[in-house]
Amino acid sequence: MLIGAIIAGIVFGLYYTLVGLGLNLVFGVMRIVNLAHGDFLMLGGIAAWWLFSSFGLHPLWSAVLVIVVFVLAGLPIYYLVVPRLLRSRDSEMLSLILFFGVSQMIEAVTTIGLGATERSLPPRLLGVGPMILFGTRLPKAWIFSAAASAIAVLLVYLYLYRTRLGTLTRAVMVSRDEALATGIDVNFVSAVAFGISIALAGVAGVFAPFILGSITPNMGVAINITAFAVIVVGTLGNPLGTLLGGIIYGVSLMLMQTYLSSWANLLPNLLLIAVLLVRPEGLLGRTVRRA
Amino acid sequence: MSPEPLLNVEVLVKRFGGFRALDGVSFHLHPGEVLGLVGPNGSGKTTCINVICGLYAPDGGEVVFDGRSIAGEKSHRLVKAGINRTFQSPRPFLSLTVRENVEVAAHYGDPKPGFDIDALLALLELDRYSQRPAAELNSAQQKTLDLARAMATEPRLLLVDELAAGLNPAELSRMADRLRALADGGMALLVVEHLMGFIDKVTDRVVVMAAGREFFGGTLADATRDPEVIRVFLGGGHHG
Amino acid sequence: MPDTAAEARRRLIRRVVLDTSIAAAVVIFMGVVRGFYSNELMLFNFVVFLALAQGLNIIYGFTGYLPFGYVGFYGAGAYGFSLVVMHLHVPALLGMAAAAGAALVLAVILLPLLRLSGAYFAIASMAAAQAVYEVVANPDLEDITKGPYGVSLSDVFAPAFSYYVALAILAFALLLVVWLRNSRFGMSLQAIRDDSVSAAMAGVSVVRGRTIAWLLSALVAGLVGGVFAWHISVFYPDTAFDLSVSIFATVFLLFGGATTLSGPLLGVFILYGIYNVIGIAVPQYFQFTYGALIVLLVLFLPNGLVSLLTRRGIRVP
Repeated sequence: MLIGAIIAGIVFGLYYTLVGLGLNLVFGVMRIVNLAHGDFLMLGGIAAWWLFSSFGLHPLWSAVLVIVVFVLAGLPIYYLVVPRLLRSRDSEMLSLILFFGVSQMIEAVTTIGLGATERSLPPRLLGVGPMILFGTRLPKAWIFSAAASAIAVLLVYLYLYRTRLGTLTRAVMVSRDEALATGIDVNFVSAVAFGISIALAGVAGVFAPFILGSITPNMGVAINITAFAVIVVGTLGNPLGTLLGGIIYGVSLMLMQTYLSSWANLLPNLLLIAVLLVRPEGLLGRTVRRA
Repeated sequence: MSPEPLLNVEVLVKRFGGFRALDGVSFHLHPGEVLGLVGPNGSGKTTCINVICGLYAPDGGEVVFDGRSIAGEKSHRLVKAGINRTFQSPRPFLSLTVRENVEVAAHYGDPKPGFDIDALLALLELDRYSQRPAAELNSAQQKTLDLARAMATEPRLLLVDELAAGLNPAELSRMADRLRALADGGMALLVVEHLMGFIDKVTDRVVVMAAGREFFGGTLADATRDPEVIRVFLGGGHHG
Repeated sequence: MPDTAAEARRRLIRRVVLDTSIAAAVVIFMGVVRGFYSNELMLFNFVVFLALAQGLNIIYGFTGYLPFGYVGFYGAGAYGFSLVVMHLHVPALLGMAAAAGAALVLAVILLPLLRLSGAYFAIASMAAAQAVYEVVANPDLEDITKGPYGVSLSDVFAPAFSYYVALAILAFALLLVVWLRNSRFGMSLQAIRDDSVSAAMAGVSVVRGRTIAWLLSALVAGLVGGVFAWHISVFYPDTAFDLSVSIFATVFLLFGGATTLSGPLLGVFILYGIYNVIGIAVPQYFQFTYGALIVLLVLFLPNGLVSLLTRRGIRVP
């Protein structure tokens, strides 16, 4: 049972890597906390549900569509809001509040448009029956999303380290001012990073009905805390760290659900607080967040 | 000048990750003395001030103030013991008025009641702005406000971090006079500075730093003639 | 203009009198209006938010920390009151003491969070409030806290008396802010918020200042939570730990303008007033408006309504 929980935890945790990856990218590039991240995830899930129930579109195709649409949508959102935000004195705090406002707006519109009931997708869409991995039975959907997540991590890594835009992004991550001084169009680089970030959230949202069971308009808050816990454990600004963070979170959650199930909901909260207090720079860490 | 140094910095070491910002620097200071700390960028001058005033704890070495080892003590306690400083870029309390800025320091940094805040503001020519928010002052005035706050705690040791930058010649001259007046009153001053003209006016002697360590002590005149000093300033700051 | 100590003292007295008068006027108004308006629960909620906004003001307006999880202290207070009344059958006023105690204990436990910087602190406090909720609402603890099934306190039901106790708590919160606005301690807190390094070099103990503000702020929320439990006497953990409580208090505070006495008052009267007039019917329209308001506020008026005056150098009470 222990091995099973660990294997399941790793696979499940990889999904949370996907959830946290975008949030990590945005923070690394702009020092901004996108508290609407969970809501973009929710929008991705809603999109997948709507595309399936209205047009019968398979979620894997929806995922591609979501990526394209969200990246393109991210650019104007960035330009509308972030440059002005970064000019103020306490931009980190203000960004928190501002994106919280955005999150409320997204939740409200979704609830008005679609009502507060749960939406879900038939699990058979991602394969019928369980798969056996190292002796553990896992739903095929989990394997799919773990694979998607691993691919996403790889793609982000390749973007950052093998493309020109990605290299510029890393320069901005190290020092925004210096990047600006060397003539890099910091705003464009950041806008693209922002678009990628919400696209990653959207893709995680497409898989959410299969991993988490359903989509509700107000699921964003809990997702945010979990996503934050994952990226903080794994060190902010480092995509490989999110990989580690997600796995640790997933395994811990599975273990808790196996042995102490009624207290499992405590885990993301306690994990987040514990890491922030004990080792705020995360497991791979460099960026320390001391007052 | 009393025989015992007020401040004794001995073989002070401070590391940031792998980088040794302070690599065994030593110097001392007597009451009423003005010591200039000069050196190229990155030589550790501001780090020195940051350690002495309690912002960082050193990784090695000693800081002895008034016979007591103070390394690692918290800043606000050191202020009450008689140490204060100014900052490279001014750090006023922007949401408070000019007078309130000084009032905080006078109340918390100097337990003696009845400090005349208004007289201090008048002395530093800030009294006109007494009721204005500190945010309304220009950069030079905010630096003077920093100095006012430091003075309001009646320190015996004042660490001055690049006060001259951004001041016009008239302001520079006034500032130099103020610092000398403080020294004449018995205060010990450590002045970190790039502007040699200011150093010349204000200091009694200088210590030249490079790569986290001091390697020359003497008058400014002697320093400008020393071949090692010249090499360090022109050759990029690497020693040995 | 050159300033004498006597002038400074006169100015201080004028300000304290003005601020206290405003505080008194609000408390008296909320007391008197109860006789004229039948929707007593709405008035009670007004008092609750007026007090909570000031409690949040103490920590955000004076130290710059914004605890998104402020509702955790409110809930702790509510459950502190409830547990003591349910299990030990003490009179309600003792229950209030337990509410204060519960909030303070939680605040002390969470003191290490103050080491974190702004955004991390905000989210960590949210996680902390969630954690407390998960513990309290856990079915395993049903015997003690009644778990997710809610609390019912029939013994101490006293809608009139508890309303006046709430007014007393509001008065306490207002007077705390008046004190902070006009004292050197409050000044030192603003100094810490503006620049903690500079404040340390002015002799201010940054840790001590933040700790006191944090504890006072938690105390206010705990007392409000306790009187909420007393007044309403039947509630679920979801209500006591509802994040909307923190959110509303935060929006009211930011809209009016933190660090002042009147800012939060304006924020509550205007926004909560509008909410009660048009928002209850379709809460999602209101949620959208709140969200949009927050976005616009942060972009264009980050220091709230009162900043329209304060940025011209005018002191607002």
